[in-house]
Amino acid sequence: MKNVKRFICLLLAAVLVLGLVACGGKDSSNDQTEAPDTQNNQATNNNESSENESAEKKYEEKVTITYACPQVVEGFDYTEGDDYVKWMSEKFNYVFETTNIPWGEWHSMLSTWIMAQNMPDVAIYNYGEGTHADAVNFVEQGLIKRLPDDWKTRWPKVAEVYGVTTLGPMLEELFEGTYFIPRARFFYNLPGDPLADHWSLWVRTDWIEAVGKEVKNHYTIPEVLEIARLIKEQDPGNLGSNLIPISMTAGNAARFFLEANSTHWDTFYKDESGQYVWGATAEQTLEGLKLWYQAYKEGLLDPEFYLLQHEQDMEKFQTLGIAGVSYLGAQTADVWNYRESFMNDTGNDPDAMKFATLLGTDGYYHQRDLINYWGAIIFSPDVEDKVFERWMDVMEFQCSEDGYVQTAMGLKGVDWDRDEEGNIVSLVDEDVLLAGAPGEAKYPSLGHVVGSVILWDDLAFDNPNIPEKYREESKALYQNRYDLSTPETFTKVDWTVWTHSTENMRRARSIDYPTEFANIVTTATSEDHLVELYNKWIDEQMSIIQPVLDELNSK
Amino acid sequence: MMSQASGYVDKPDFKSRIARIWVNVQKNRERYILVLPGLVWYAIFAYIPIYGLSLAFKKFIAKLGIFGSPWIGLYNFRNVFQDPSFVESILTTLIINVGRLIFVFPFPIFLALIINELRLNRTKKILQSIYTFPHFLSWVIVASVMINILGQKGLVNSFLGMFFNIEPISFLGTPSYFRPLLYITDAWKGAGWSAIIYMASISGIDVEQYEAAEIDGASRLQRMWHITLPGIKSTIVVLFILAVGNLMSGGFDQIFNLSNPATIKVAETLDMYIYRITFSGSVDFSFSSAVALFRSVVNLVLLLVADRVIRRIDGSGLLG
Repeated sequence: MKNVKRFICLLLAAVLVLGLVACGGKDSSNDQTEAPDTQNNQATNNNESSENESAEKKYEEKVTITYACPQVVEGFDYTEGDDYVKWMSEKFNYVFETTNIPWGEWHSMLSTWIMAQNMPDVAIYNYGEGTHADAVNFVEQGLIKRLPDDWKTRWPKVAEVYGVTTLGPMLEELFEGTYFIPRARFFYNLPGDPLADHWSLWVRTDWIEAVGKEVKNHYTIPEVLEIARLIKEQDPGNLGSNLIPISMTAGNAARFFLEANSTHWDTFYKDESGQYVWGATAEQTLEGLKLWYQAYKEGLLDPEFYLLQHEQDMEKFQTLGIAGVSYLGAQTADVWNYRESFMNDTGNDPDAMKFATLLGTDGYYHQRDLINYWGAIIFSPDVEDKVFERWMDVMEFQCSEDGYVQTAMGLKGVDWDRDEEGNIVSLVDEDVLLAGAPGEAKYPSLGHVVGSVILWDDLAFDNPNIPEKYREESKALYQNRYDLSTPETFTKVDWTVWTHSTENMRRARSIDYPTEFANIVTTATSEDHLVELYNKWIDEQMSIIQPVLDELNSK
Repeated sequence: MMSQASGYVDKPDFKSRIARIWVNVQKNRERYILVLPGLVWYAIFAYIPIYGLSLAFKKFIAKLGIFGSPWIGLYNFRNVFQDPSFVESILTTLIINVGRLIFVFPFPIFLALIINELRLNRTKKILQSIYTFPHFLSWVIVASVMINILGQKGLVNSFLGMFFNIEPISFLGTPSYFRPLLYITDAWKGAGWSAIIYMASISGIDVEQYEAAEIDGASRLQRMWHITLPGIKSTIVVLFILAVGNLMSGGFDQIFNLSNPATIKVAETLDMYIYRITFSGSVDFSFSSAVALFRSVVNLVLLLVADRVIRRIDGSGLLG
């Protein structure tokens, strides 16, 4: 009996120790590199022309490339998961090991890996004003790879795209070398400089017409509120208590009422006297806040907008069809997808929803330069040269006229081709979903993961899979933002503020403006009270803001 | 006494004590082996990382690591105290957690006392299971349940509207309802689980005391008051001191999931503040460490003070 007890004790102890060891163990499966299926497929046969384009190089040695970014579909095999990635991995002879980073942890997770000197070979850095300070640290400490000085001559197409991102060349000058390759939103179809945002009004045209208002390409904030008021009164959709005239999350409401009315509402800018001031104190910011309060108190805005999580406002508009107005992304690449979902989910005509530009109370479009990039490609300082070069080759191909089309339209010769004039012709049936979730789409891998340097919006202007009238609508949306703005309301990026990365600025950037302003709106009991709360909040923040203003004005 | 004070005679005492301990370890080696993994776990995951707290006094440079990063004295703490949100978050934390001590802490005690008074063993077990079940739900789920129950189109508002013709009440967006919501959900979710400790303590009370009290004509309430409660007093004291030692932290998951922009002013506790400054924009581990260290020190002080006060009042405390 005693021996049995002893044995059980020792066994339990061993199990606990093994459990402990297992917790800290490294997943050896990550180290395995499995050769992809090399059998030729239809795609390979049909893509000779694409292959010929970069047939100069033959890749004898198979390399394993590790990669992380939020766009990675978790669990999907980016080496052999569909014909597109199979074609790419065979062409460039690699095994692609991807890691999904949750959207909400993009910066914190990747930064932790970088600082622990444990980042994958390639990653997409969430570059922005708020993360620039960390980027400076990483560069100064050698935590990310500096590209060889001759990279632009070795990979000229990547260099060409890099040249239009604005951020890339600016950082190159700042860091005296290239560490980041920003991914361009546009290259072949750049709408303008500064770059207009795709964020747009989503409106129900059938309801607007029903309440006797004009369907337009642009509306001012008071015009939208007036339409929402009429929709609330007349309930053209017969939805009763389910009707939500304006559906927005707190973040999108801040963009709608504040950003669209006050260009610098959440940052610093130079006023007419040439001195830096804080945008939250601008008259237009308070004006926008009053409109927000008005919409909330009148019941035009979703009474529980503060409870809505990411895309729940979209769901109310697009899936449930119970909202009259929303303010959401309207990427060129998605102008048709969104309508298609709206049509399928609500049973409405796709033209019953429309995208429009939102203008401030002054009738002008307000925005700060979007800057022509989204996410920047970085390499581990420990990446092997052969892995780095292979990935650069992949990117070079993806920057080519055929490569960048493939990232959105699938395989040349299978899903699309060019006619005699060089125009893109779609070869897929209308009911084929090219990109989307595994199990639903033909190529779940399509998108920005496989070496994409030019993002989807660019091709969307020419993509024949998107009905032409919607592409034209999208072009018009971009255009009217340039037509309906002045250099003061639609400003170019101020790199002095953008790259200011002191300790004081870091604290100033930690202010969560949408949450703070939403709190003022929901707490206020009257407009006077709103102003009182706003002034109190401004005063409270000055201990954080004033040091930054002092720094900027002393530059 | 003299020999103890001299230190001259202490030496052999110390040696013999070590020897006694060694004999004891030899005798119970299976038990010590069982304890060993736990000790190793604590050493690796709880004690060794404590050196990371030095980051609060350093400017963290990843390439140099925690040890190599340069010292910057109290610079991070100066920055921390300059932030008005930080000071506000301390106050919010204290208000919320003192409220928990008053409203939530006694709840499992009542629950344990009531369950203990049930005569049917089967009913007791069923009720105990029902009360314990919510403990296993995550706060994410509890938050979505609350939205469905307390939202403007939720169960409660529908009921109020249907039977009393009352306009929807914004239970989740009114700051004054936020703290009661925290206490109610906390009590609902955690009371059953915490009651297990008190139930275990109650089961250790000598049954003869109840029998004697019954013979003497004591009512159930009197037995509960004069036997059960004093019987579990030491457990209550220990848990109370631990709760006081946790006044500056705790409840992050709950508050993170139940708060929203409308209630953030009454919801930004120190943990929420640390989360916001750590994960919004650039990552500053030194700054976050300074805040976290401040919180731990205050918690330690509160724990020691609570222990000392209880010892003064009651004669027994957590630390002997």
